[in-house]
Amino acid sequence: MSFIEVTNVSKRFRINKRAGGIPGMIANMFVPKYEYKQAVDGISFSIEEGEMIGFIGPNGAGKSTTIKMLSGILCPDSGSIKVGGYTPYKDRKKYVGNIGVVFGQKSQLQWDLPVIDSFELLKAIYRIPEELYQKNLNRFTEMLQMESFLYQPVRQLSLGQRMRADIVAALLHSPKIVFFDEPTIGVDVVGKETIRQFIRELNETDNITMIFTTHDMQDIEKVCDRLIIIDKGSKVYDGELSGIREKFGTTRQLDVEFTQECEIEPVENVQVIPLDNRKKRFVFENRDVKIDELMNELLTKYSIRDINISEPEIESLIRKIYNGEVS
Amino acid sequence: MKLTPYLAFAKKSFLNRSAYRFNHFMGILNTLVRIFIFWCIYRALYGERNEVDGITMAMVTTNFVLSIGMDALFSINDYYLPNRIGNGSIATELLLPISFKGRMLFENLGNTLFQLIFHFAPALVVCVVTVGVLPPVSFGCFLLFIISAVLGYGVLWNLSFLLQTFSFWLLNMWSLMTIKNVFLNVLSGSMIPLWFMPDWMAPVMNLLPFSSIYFTPVQIYLGQLSAKEIGTKFLVQMLWIGVLYLCGNVFWKKGKKKLVVQGG
Amino acid sequence: MIRDVLHLIGVYTKTIMKSWFQYKVDAVLRSLAVFLRESTGIIVVYFTLLKFDTLNGWNVYELLFLFSLLFVTYGIMILFFTGLRDFGGTVRNGGFDRYILRPRGLLFQIIFVNADWFAAIGHGGLGIVLFLISASKVGIVWSFDKAMYYLFAIFGGVLIQGAIFLFLATLNIYLLETGSLKELFYWNARKFAGYPLSIFHKAIQTVMLYVVPFAFVNYFPAQYLLRKEDMAAYPEIFLYLTPALGVAMYLLAYVFWRFSLKYYKSSGN
Repeated sequence: MSFIEVTNVSKRFRINKRAGGIPGMIANMFVPKYEYKQAVDGISFSIEEGEMIGFIGPNGAGKSTTIKMLSGILCPDSGSIKVGGYTPYKDRKKYVGNIGVVFGQKSQLQWDLPVIDSFELLKAIYRIPEELYQKNLNRFTEMLQMESFLYQPVRQLSLGQRMRADIVAALLHSPKIVFFDEPTIGVDVVGKETIRQFIRELNETDNITMIFTTHDMQDIEKVCDRLIIIDKGSKVYDGELSGIREKFGTTRQLDVEFTQECEIEPVENVQVIPLDNRKKRFVFENRDVKIDELMNELLTKYSIRDINISEPEIESLIRKIYNGEVS
Repeated sequence: MKLTPYLAFAKKSFLNRSAYRFNHFMGILNTLVRIFIFWCIYRALYGERNEVDGITMAMVTTNFVLSIGMDALFSINDYYLPNRIGNGSIATELLLPISFKGRMLFENLGNTLFQLIFHFAPALVVCVVTVGVLPPVSFGCFLLFIISAVLGYGVLWNLSFLLQTFSFWLLNMWSLMTIKNVFLNVLSGSMIPLWFMPDWMAPVMNLLPFSSIYFTPVQIYLGQLSAKEIGTKFLVQMLWIGVLYLCGNVFWKKGKKKLVVQGG
Repeated sequence: MIRDVLHLIGVYTKTIMKSWFQYKVDAVLRSLAVFLRESTGIIVVYFTLLKFDTLNGWNVYELLFLFSLLFVTYGIMILFFTGLRDFGGTVRNGGFDRYILRPRGLLFQIIFVNADWFAAIGHGGLGIVLFLISASKVGIVWSFDKAMYYLFAIFGGVLIQGAIFLFLATLNIYLLETGSLKELFYWNARKFAGYPLSIFHKAIQTVMLYVVPFAFVNYFPAQYLLRKEDMAAYPEIFLYLTPALGVAMYLLAYVFWRFSLKYYKSSGN
């Protein structure tokens, strides 16, 4: 039995279709019309304690619905969810003391008050013992370099500072699982790096299970070990980050710099993209074209100064998965 | 000054209003509830009496229907300027080649026209059927009533504008506007017909513009004023428009200067 | 357990107070504006009664006493139930999901996270001022029994309005916009409640007795203490129903709330 066990979970939403105008409104009051949207369609996965999961998919894929079910805000229509022995949507009060949630777009801090006041409030809400509170507070503020703005009102903080404070707010009660929903959105490059490093470090030292949703592939590449991709309510990939290349990254590209300008004869199954006068890019599928044969052909026919083979970036692969270009 | 762009603003605000139908319906209900409450109170106060100080129950009812009706009709957005100063959009709107105040007035007029057709008119019909409303004493009085109501609108608009210009300096406009509304409600005749105000309040009312807004038109409608008195009241209304307009302009210019110097 | 809850309430209250004192001038102005706005009706009644002496047998002080019950109960109620008044916004901006993610009771959080001190001081302060002005002049011979009755009536009046708020707040789980419904069922009904029930049309009286029972918030408690003639039109038992009705309505609204929470969890928003 894994730490988090999601088995065949489905969730369908009923959307009220409103007709316009007063007649429509009245008609809707008596005979409402509904549309159904399958947000999550039979998803299963399991996560071990201490894992660092990137949970991604295009908008409307069912990510946030799944996260909401995992955190106990919603209950599934069918299937079962077990997290550390709890059923999230049933044992709410006991369960949520073990989790932390960071919504990048929605702060849980008191807008008008210094950061520390929000922390004190959370201490009371989560019944955090004084000793643990002090220990966590000191440790996290040091790691995230928050000393300078701990006593400043939240409304005066930059987005990056606010996000760091929000992350600490979700961790003060030493949760076993933390959900990060877009934790770096709108944060500048340096701020993002600080946040990523902190998360990695915490995962390694404290063995906290972390689940990430993000649109920033850098987040995923730098932070997560494992990736779960969902699309249209179903899981389309579950495995290591590097596995994506093996599974989907069948495209290769060859950037060739010639010694002089020249015309290239068409090659079967290879797409030729001119980069500048003397540079050309050759794009092809692994299974169709043998790379050594292609290079041989080029070297014999033309005079070449430099050759560079590259794999596609993860980001473009994932975009392809979303677009249904690979399967 | 070309009118076309301003009429476009008036049309836009007229059309915008038609989007929120349920709220609009609730608005009419609110107006009717206000009128009905005061009608019930005065019915109980009058009891068996036909008149008090020469004022009949029908006149009281007409006063409430007209002044509460005009209140709903005028419905000036007190936060038009404060909102734009608050979110900073005032800076770009001042750059447009049209008068900001003109645009503000015409957007409000579009709204008022909407209120006249879809709020005031139906509410009036309901009132005529249920509580009863006196007809104007004569056609002439009715025309003078219209003129006086337009002047009353002018007084209220300029008063609101003057207070709105304070938002260049004040953050808390809500409190200021709320306190203005307290004065408006008590001293304009929409909650207590001004005939029944104690005599010692007369100087207060004469020194403030509020009775010029709804009560003057109502008095003319009911034929309570002689030709000479009507002339005087018109002058008073115009005087208030002038005074409030000038004060509003002073603050408006100072505020704009502050905006340019400090960048908001 | 109890200590822990009280401690949390204390921290919540401290946090609200601190936010409030961030803008001192603003806070004072807001409370003052609420106070004055709510006084409007009182000033009007005062002026009107200078002319007419009595309204259906009620003199000006008796009317002020009637008003005072309305304001005192609202002032107390809003201190606890601001969160319910603003619940629509909380659901729409995701704040409610945040409550679900915390290991505390949901209604508990909604109640204690928010408190509108401006409204509480404005309404409650006005209620107390009116009570002080009128209580000695309406001929009530205060005894222990009457004081207890008064306290229970306040308690019931708070709960009746709280139940209406809770019911209207719960509707936000099903409907997108409930502002207009609140206007209709709460604020408009409340406008009638400032005056003796007996002056209104039968249909309005029915609404105030059985649909949105504001009559039990102030009219009948005031009647118990003042015994005006127009009480003859209503059964004697109405004088004693306020606390029981408050508890019953609140429980009913609470059951509806619990039921709707299940719906929220299964439907999302």
